[in-house]
Amino acid sequence: MNRPQPGRRALLGATLALPFLGRSALAQGGEPYVLGTLFPMSGPNAEYGTVFTAGAQLALQHIEADKVLKRPIRLQAEDTQALPQQAVVGMTKLANVDKASFVLVGFTAVSKAVAPVGDRAKIVMVNGGAVGPDLSGLSPYFWNTIPLAHLETEALLPYIVGERKLKRIALVYVDDPLGDAILGALRDGLPKAGGTLAGSFSVPRTAQQFAPVAARIRQTRPDAVYIASFGAQQSQIIKQLRDNGISQPLLSYSAMNLDSVKNTAEAEGLIFTTQKTDFAGGDAMTKRFAADFKARFNSDPGTYHVNYYNAVWLFGQLAAMNEAAGRPVDGETLRAALLEKREFDLVGGKGRFDDKGNLTAAIQVNELRGGALTRIAG
Amino acid sequence: MLFLQLLQGGVQTGALYALTAAGFALIFGATRIFHFAHGAAFTLAGYAFLMAWNAGWPWPLGALAAIAVAVLFGVAIEQLVYRPIGRHEGGFFTVFVAAFGVSIVVQNLVGMIAGRGFAVIDTPLSRATEVLPDLWIAPVFYVAIGVSALLFLALSLFLTRSHAGVALRALAQNPDLIRTYGLSSTRLSILAFALGSALAAPAAILTGMTVGLNEAMGHHVMLISMAATIVGGVGNLKGAALAGLLLGIAESVALAFVEPQWAEAVSFVVLFGFILFRPSGLFGVAVAR
Amino acid sequence: MIAYLANLATIVAIFGILASTLNVAIGHAGIFSVAHAVFFGLGAYAGAQTAMLLVPDPLLALLVAALIAGGLSLCLALPALRVRGEYFVAASLGLQMVATTLFSELKPLTGGIGGLVGIPRPELFGVTITALPLALATLALILLATHLLARGSFGRTLRAIRDAESAAEALGKHVAVAKTLAVAFACAGAGMAGALFAFHMAFVNVESFTLDQSVLVMAMVIVGGTGTLWGPLLGAALLLALPAGLSFLPFIPPTEVGAVQQILYGLAMTLLMIFRPAGLVGDLGRGKVAH
Repeated sequence: MNRPQPGRRALLGATLALPFLGRSALAQGGEPYVLGTLFPMSGPNAEYGTVFTAGAQLALQHIEADKVLKRPIRLQAEDTQALPQQAVVGMTKLANVDKASFVLVGFTAVSKAVAPVGDRAKIVMVNGGAVGPDLSGLSPYFWNTIPLAHLETEALLPYIVGERKLKRIALVYVDDPLGDAILGALRDGLPKAGGTLAGSFSVPRTAQQFAPVAARIRQTRPDAVYIASFGAQQSQIIKQLRDNGISQPLLSYSAMNLDSVKNTAEAEGLIFTTQKTDFAGGDAMTKRFAADFKARFNSDPGTYHVNYYNAVWLFGQLAAMNEAAGRPVDGETLRAALLEKREFDLVGGKGRFDDKGNLTAAIQVNELRGGALTRIAG
Repeated sequence: MLFLQLLQGGVQTGALYALTAAGFALIFGATRIFHFAHGAAFTLAGYAFLMAWNAGWPWPLGALAAIAVAVLFGVAIEQLVYRPIGRHEGGFFTVFVAAFGVSIVVQNLVGMIAGRGFAVIDTPLSRATEVLPDLWIAPVFYVAIGVSALLFLALSLFLTRSHAGVALRALAQNPDLIRTYGLSSTRLSILAFALGSALAAPAAILTGMTVGLNEAMGHHVMLISMAATIVGGVGNLKGAALAGLLLGIAESVALAFVEPQWAEAVSFVVLFGFILFRPSGLFGVAVAR
Repeated sequence: MIAYLANLATIVAIFGILASTLNVAIGHAGIFSVAHAVFFGLGAYAGAQTAMLLVPDPLLALLVAALIAGGLSLCLALPALRVRGEYFVAASLGLQMVATTLFSELKPLTGGIGGLVGIPRPELFGVTITALPLALATLALILLATHLLARGSFGRTLRAIRDAESAAEALGKHVAVAKTLAVAFACAGAGMAGALFAFHMAFVNVESFTLDQSVLVMAMVIVGGTGTLWGPLLGAALLLALPAGLSFLPFIPPTEVGAVQQILYGLAMTLLMIFRPAGLVGDLGRGKVAH
């Protein structure tokens, strides 16, 4: 965040224009479908909320432009601050007041908290941001458009240990279900790949000082350091490790795909996994997504944009199937439509959903060079 | 060597804690206002410097801007929030809740204007080099110690040599005395807020270089300042500063013995223990209240 | 809409219990605790574990929660007996911060940040019920107890301690006993609120029991009016309905919705304190005299 961010301002302008967009959509006729979002829009994780919303907004724009649905869609945002309690209140409002049929969620703890509410009300919840492995099969109505964490480490370790010969890995992980999941994945995965876990250091979600942790990490003499956190904390960890004598390669997972990380000078050379997306050489849908995203938000899209775009696009496809069949659009029919079709054209290529509603996707390994992602493996 | 490294890191953090704690203690001592929004002054100062720095201003100008913003905020909150409340009842917790509201507003305004998430003041000062085997020290360490020492020297000279400074100290001891001598406690309390808030600025700038800034950071700073004020003994600036330093060291050195997730609790165990067993603080006279 | 209002009513009732019990400590005994969320959390974990491991009987869960929270209230009573004023605030703050860490780390008991998932719905005499009637009944009981307590001799003792501790002691009041009892009552009530909260959310984690939550509950008491019977409940309803109501505002762009809500919320809190420093229900005149 050291340089001016034209993207942010453009984004703000675009969202300010949204109410008007909604009004013109209403003219199309029919009661709008309500699409809820449960994202952190304030507090230390608010950057994610902004990113997640942008992806969803672009998909709404495309659904409207393509006239996919007979009825318009209204976006109803509820702020969770990434806290479970706020999320449950918001989810209850979405279910009972707004009558949302489809809700976008993020964050492991939030997802786990709202899942029972959505399950009872039979509302489809789609996660495109959190990667805790226990999010799989949380409810028949809880789907994931993001590959969960164990898939990411499985893709990373063979490359890191096998090709790069980085055998001793130290781990800094946030003390929450996500961090525990990555700890578990590395503990199992590293020996299999021929490496060892040199040390693991858990930090609270609110921690800001990492110089002492850096000192502890240096003691373990690692070949590389894996960072498993999210939000503002990630950049803080990267910067402070680099400032405090850790020159070894830094590794991580898809949560690093944020502008604030890319704009952190110390993040240069960071190696992390994301799902595979080829914006330049991909199919027509991916190209259109990349081009229109750039046009609307004046910045390059990242994987979160893709995931939430896909989630909303998926809603468009499923609701259109129901409209064509003359069925109402609700949680049950959406789920039936998903299980009926299974495979969808999504950004990043064809996506296939398993019985639990998880999108299976290929993973790639990226390196951050000059503030941009470069695919280096996978 | 790990211990030495952790001690060094603790001193660096502690020096900055000492500055903010002294500011908080100054305000609290002179006005008895529990300035819960002190962290907001810290956040604002940090972002003011960041913006000036990114706009290409030379650093002394940026530092002045940061101090100006902090002072302005401190005086404004004293005039607009604390004073009207004080006129009514001035209940300790009424002030607390009002200040809490202000810090929520500041945090979210900063997020809206400066962008949410992490931001860092990018300087080579924070980059550590290996000075001894396995002991890494960044130039900012010397800056932090130098700045803190200088400011404390200046502050204690001001408090002991200048008329206003002596009056401020007297106000902390006995508000009625001041009135008898015909001094305006209103102007003194503005002075306390201005000085106390200004002390947060250098700490905010240096923190922005090492740890980085985010709009929610004021919270932690405020907690540490408050803890240091209590541990140091209310109304005792030296005590607050020393306690701030000790809390910084404790937080860091704790990592030699416990896992990182317990580090924050260590500071507050220290606080809790102090209140139970030595409520008068480090060098407090017995404060039987 | 009905379900939404029921949900909001349940939350308001639960926080009404929290605020009313904290009010006993603040308004009647002059014990300014910013650690109320600790006991809320203890009760929530105790209630949740009782329901998950034994039976989802809400009465048993409430009892266990009240006993554990009330018992551990000694952690708060101890500093309350030794120090007053700002010192006690700081002590309770230290307790709050340490407890937050413990809640995150004692994973077998609390589940850490991941929390306890799948708390069963309460069953009373074999019938599954919602948390709303339980919360309302508990709230009514707490309010009744507070009312009786405020009128009785115990209430007079507490207020005597609040206004002039040494004088109360000189008059032969058992200051230590009275303070400990007041804290135990407040904390046990918070524990019951916690158990209800666990039943209502079917999920609890440490994030609901942090310093922010303690400060929020305290703000409810202050905003409503300390020492009054209905003030804390009104404060709870207002501070909970405010964000909920703000989320109905149609003109806020989705990406700024959180920040704008929070700003209005913070502003409302500050302005209320400037213009109604004794709280909404509080009596301005009386506040002045007491000072």
